Amino acid sequence: MKFTALLVVLLLSCLNAFAGTLSGTVKATRQSAVVLETVPAKAFPAPTQTAAMNQQGMKFMPALLVIQQGTTVVFSNDDNVPHNVFWPSISGNKKLSHNVGTFNKGKTLNFKYENAGNVPLLCNIHSEMVGTIVVSPSPYFAETDAAGNYTIKDVPDGTYKATAWDNGKATTVPVTVKGDTKLDFAPAK
Amino acid sequence: MRHGMRIIAVVLFLFALSLSGCAQVVTPVEGESWLERLHRPFDETSMGKSSGVYGPAAPMPSEWPLPHPALQLSNEFTGQSTTLHGSDLYRFKCQGCHGAFGTGAPPEINSVIDPVRATSARMYIERMKKVGMDVASKDAVPLAGQAEAMLLDRLHKGGTDMPSPNPYLTNAEVRSLFAYLRQLAGIPGAEKRQVPVVEPPLRVGEHIVKSTCHICHASVGPNPSPRELSEGQIPPLSRLTTRLSLNEFVTKVTVGTPVLEGSPAMPARGHMPVFTYLTPDEAADAYLYLSLYPPRN
Repeated sequence: MKFTALLVVLLLSCLNAFAGTLSGTVKATRQSAVVLETVPAKAFPAPTQTAAMNQQGMKFMPALLVIQQGTTVVFSNDDNVPHNVFWPSISGNKKLSHNVGTFNKGKTLNFKYENAGNVPLLCNIHSEMVGTIVVSPSPYFAETDAAGNYTIKDVPDGTYKATAWDNGKATTVPVTVKGDTKLDFAPAK
Repeated sequence: MRHGMRIIAVVLFLFALSLSGCAQVVTPVEGESWLERLHRPFDETSMGKSSGVYGPAAPMPSEWPLPHPALQLSNEFTGQSTTLHGSDLYRFKCQGCHGAFGTGAPPEINSVIDPVRATSARMYIERMKKVGMDVASKDAVPLAGQAEAMLLDRLHKGGTDMPSPNPYLTNAEVRSLFAYLRQLAGIPGAEKRQVPVVEPPLRVGEHIVKSTCHICHASVGPNPSPRELSEGQIPPLSRLTTRLSLNEFVTKVTVGTPVLEGSPAMPARGHMPVFTYLTPDEAADAYLYLSLYPPRN
């Protein structure tokens, strides 16, 4: 019994030795997202937990939601007027446009995001409403804080494609994570 | 032979009825006011705060033109049915809250413009293009269809805070109102697709009473004292036709008259907005309706 526990502790400490924190700054126009894609690309099991996107006060709340590929997002309407949820493309690919639906207060709509990328959320009834969902191809992602800083913890050592999404524009750079690693992003062009 | 003609006449009547959607059935106004249902004091509503938006305050006796304005019903006020347009239905059923331009009073009363614009795929594509979003026609067309279905549903059933447009609109009335809403929202070509409807005076009165007056006035109840009026109580609809003559009622609605408020009772401008967008004929229709269909609890 003692031997098994010791083995587990040793194994965990070995794992920690091969993982680190990726952090840095994104010089962006607004809150942005940083997502990592493994090289070579690797599929990750879909999360079992859902994420929430609300329509409240004629706004998408939160304005930016970052999720892992395979996550189901539950859309809700807290306003006294009908809202719609649709996107004209994912990362510019119009074939991935989708209309989730139009619904009244108190109802919910679900959608499972199978494609990674930037999803510009719109409501065709209230064209001023704009939100964003960034779908990460891996469980390694983060949102920036007000100063543009981000932190992704427990990233296994290895090679990745790191993408910063700023207002629908992507800046992708290769990065090798080895323990704690720093990576800053220049403004998207 | 005569029997056969009668059958044909009945069949033709039923056919015409089916074409026009549901028949217009006039019913009395019932229950508490819409503001009471929403538990909102009148003074806290946009209508209560800004009566200027809905017409000038009632003139005080010293400001009245002399002689007192006489009731000027037109020669057309003969009890015959009149042809209405969607713009008329909008005045009777929507303008009291959403205003002449449909902009409402956000956040209390939402604008009708955006939901109506959403029913035009072309307009939506153009609007999104202006903000740098490229929406394909294959996406915009079903979105517009969905928006139209939601809007028509709302016109029939009302919303969370919006009263159902009681009396329930017939399909012909909904088509007429929807056509005007599209014109109001500036959808190109909508002005050429207006749909008239023929309505008897009682139906006109019912529209006005149920969709405008009943927002603030309960159907029945005790008449408030001058002191209670000054505290914000609102007279019930059932007392209007017994307290006021047709002339006084029409003047009160379209021009405004002072009321006795407070203790001791003194002439005051009162709380009721003046509905300058209703004609004397239309206000008389409301009086006629209230007289022939007494409000019920």
